Amino acid sequence: MPEKLKVDTRMTVETPEGVDFQFVIAGPGKRCVAFALDSLIKVGTMILCVFLLMAITGTNGELPAVSNGIVLVIWFAMSWMYGACCEAFLDGRTLGKISQGLRVVRTNGTPIGWFEAFGRNLLLVPDSFLVFGPIALNTVGVLSMAATRRMQRLGDLVFDTMVIDEAREFISRSPDIAVGVDPIERAECRGRYHVPERTLAVIERLFEGDRLISDGRREEIARTLSVQLRERLGYIEPQPDPHNPNAFFAQTPRKHTAFLKRIIKTFADDGQGDTSEDAPLKKARTTSRRAVGSAADSSAMSLDRIVAEAADYEMEDHSKKQTATATLPTPADDYVDPTYLVDFDEDSPTKTSEGESS
Amino acid sequence: MNRERFIKRRREDWQQFEKLLDRMYGSRLGKWQGQDVTRLSNLYRSICYDLSLVQSREWGARLEQYLNDLVARGHNCLYRTPPRSLDSALKFLSEGFPQLLRRRKTFFFVALALFAIPFLIAMFVGIVDPVLAEQLVDRTELEDVRQNFSKTMYTEIDSEYAEQRSAAAGFYVWNNVGIAFRCFALGVFFGLGTVVTLIFNGLSLGARSGYLVNQGHADYFFSFAVTHGSFELTAIVIAGAAGLLLGWGMIHPGDLTRRESLRVHGMDAVKLATGAGFMLLIAALIEGYFSPLPIPNVIKYVVGTMMWILVFVYLTYSGRTAHDGFPVAVDRDHHSPAGQLIREELA
Repeated sequence: MPEKLKVDTRMTVETPEGVDFQFVIAGPGKRCVAFALDSLIKVGTMILCVFLLMAITGTNGELPAVSNGIVLVIWFAMSWMYGACCEAFLDGRTLGKISQGLRVVRTNGTPIGWFEAFGRNLLLVPDSFLVFGPIALNTVGVLSMAATRRMQRLGDLVFDTMVIDEAREFISRSPDIAVGVDPIERAECRGRYHVPERTLAVIERLFEGDRLISDGRREEIARTLSVQLRERLGYIEPQPDPHNPNAFFAQTPRKHTAFLKRIIKTFADDGQGDTSEDAPLKKARTTSRRAVGSAADSSAMSLDRIVAEAADYEMEDHSKKQTATATLPTPADDYVDPTYLVDFDEDSPTKTSEGESS
Repeated sequence: MNRERFIKRRREDWQQFEKLLDRMYGSRLGKWQGQDVTRLSNLYRSICYDLSLVQSREWGARLEQYLNDLVARGHNCLYRTPPRSLDSALKFLSEGFPQLLRRRKTFFFVALALFAIPFLIAMFVGIVDPVLAEQLVDRTELEDVRQNFSKTMYTEIDSEYAEQRSAAAGFYVWNNVGIAFRCFALGVFFGLGTVVTLIFNGLSLGARSGYLVNQGHADYFFSFAVTHGSFELTAIVIAGAAGLLLGWGMIHPGDLTRRESLRVHGMDAVKLATGAGFMLLIAALIEGYFSPLPIPNVIKYVVGTMMWILVFVYLTYSGRTAHDGFPVAVDRDHHSPAGQLIREELA
C-alpha cells in the first residue's frame, strides 16, 4: 500500500489505547542549534575544569601529572558520555535540546532507555564524518536525515528513535482574517445550516499569510465554496442601494472573499487572538433553549448562537435531510456514540427518527 | 451530541488531568500515590476517547490540538522509561553481558580472527625482518616504543611513573575506550569500518611487539603487557564483535524486516560495547597503576595469568543458566526489543 504523501513533519503515533496522536519531528535547523549548544557546553566544561584545577593546585600554565589524568578523564566523559547521560537521565533531552524544546523518543512515542541513549550517541562518530572536507560537518547524519521520513540520523535509525519538537505551535485561527468584518445576521439567511469545522478549516487555509495568492486568484477559488455555502444558508443576495449603487458595485469583484470572511467571523467560535491552551474551554457557550425559540423573530440574533444550540454538524438543511433519510438511511443515523457519552446525548438520534416517521 | 455540551461536560476532567500531570510528571515514580495513578490512568483513557471522538467528528482543529497535547503529555508521563537502579546495572555487568556475549559468540570469534591473524603475521614479520616492519608502522614510532622498553628507560619510567600514574591511567581511559567505541560505531557502515579498524590495530600492535622482541626487549614488554592485556585485548575484540553485529544486522536481516533487524542487533551491539567499555576501564586502571610497578617480572606474569583466567571464567561461566546459549524467550523488561517483538507478534 503506498504511503500517504506527507507535506509536513508530523508523525502519527498510535497509543495502546487505540488513539492516534501526533508528534512534530524536529528539523535539522533546531537540531543544529542544539548540537552547537551542546558542543559549546562540552568545551566550556573542559576549559572550566582546567582553570579550576589550576586554581586548586596553584600552578599557572603547567598542570601536575595527576590533574592531567583528571582532565583526560573529563575529556573522555564529555566526548562520549555527556549526550548519553543527559538523554538517559533527563528523559531524552540534552541541555541543548532543552533549550530548543526537543526530545528524543522511540518511534512508537515511548521514552528511550539507557542503552538507546548511549548507542545513539556513540553513533555520532559515523554521523559526524566529513565527506566533503572540513566545511561540511555531520554530513552523513544530515544526508541520512534528508533521506528518511522521520529525519533520523544513523544513530536514530539503528536504535529506532526520533527527535521530536515539543514546542507547541498552537493552530489558532489567524486573528486577522475576520477583523473588521460583520457577522452574518439571521435575517440575511432563509435556511438553517451550520458550516462544519472542516469547511472552516479550508477557508482558513485560503487566507493563510504564507500563501502567495493574488487577490484575484483567491476570489476565483473562493467562488466555488462561496456559491455552495450561499445556497445552503439560503443567503439573500443583497441588492444595490438604488440611491447609491456605486458602493455595492465597488464590492462585487471581491464579494466571495468577503463572504467567506464573514462566514469565519460568524461560525469560528473562538476568541480572536486568544491563543491560550484552554481557549476552547473558555468559550463553552451557555446558550439556553429559550434563545432558540426567540431566534426566529429576533433579527439581531446572530447565527452562531442558534447554531450552538441546534446544530450537530451532521444536521444539515432540514428539508434536504428529510428527503435524504426517507429514501436511504445515511450512515450517520446508525452511528453509536461511545457508551459513556450516551447518557447526555439528547439531540440527534431521536430527532432524526422523528423526522423519518413524520 | 453537541460540541459545546461535550466540552462543558468534559472540561472538568481535562483540567483535573492537567493538574495531575503537572504534579506527577516532575516527581519520581517512587513518590507516586496509588490513588493518583488510578485517577491519572482513568482520566488518560477517557481523554483518549475524547480525542478520537473529536477527530472522527472533526470538531475543530484547536480542540483536537488541545486534546492531542493532553494525550501526548499523558502518554509521556505513563509510558516512561522503567526506572533503572544501580542494582540493574550491576546485574547487567555480572550476568547480562557475559550471557549476551555467549549468545553472540560467532561474532566474537570472527572479530578475534580479524584481530589475531594480522597481529600474529605482523609480529612474525617484526621478529624476522624489522626493516619490513617499518613498512607497517612508522620508523620513529617504532623507535619510540623501543626507547620506552629499553632497560635503562624502563627503570627510569618506573620511578617517574610514581607521580605520573594517574596521568597515564587517564590517558588510557580516554584513548583506549575511545578506540573501542569508535570501533563499534564504525560498524554502522555495513561492518566495514569495524573490519578495517580491527585489522589495522592488529597489524600495528603486532608489528610493535615483534619489533620489541627482535630488539631483545621481550621480557620487559611481555611482563608489562600481560596483566592489562587480558582485559584490554579481549575488550577490543568484543567491541569489534559489537561492530560486526551491527553491520550484520544491516546486511542480513534474516526473518525480520531490515528496520526490526537493525533495532534488535543494534541493541545487542550497544550492550556489548558497554561491556567492552567497562572492561577497558578496568584495563586502564591496571595499566596505569599495576603494570609499570618496579617489581620482579615473575609476579607480573603470575598475576597476569590469573587475570587471563579471570576474564575467561567471567565471560564463559558468569550468569550461566540451565538453558544457556539459547535466546531468552520472554524478556521481563517489556521495553526491550525482544519483548517488543513478542508483544507485536501477539497483538
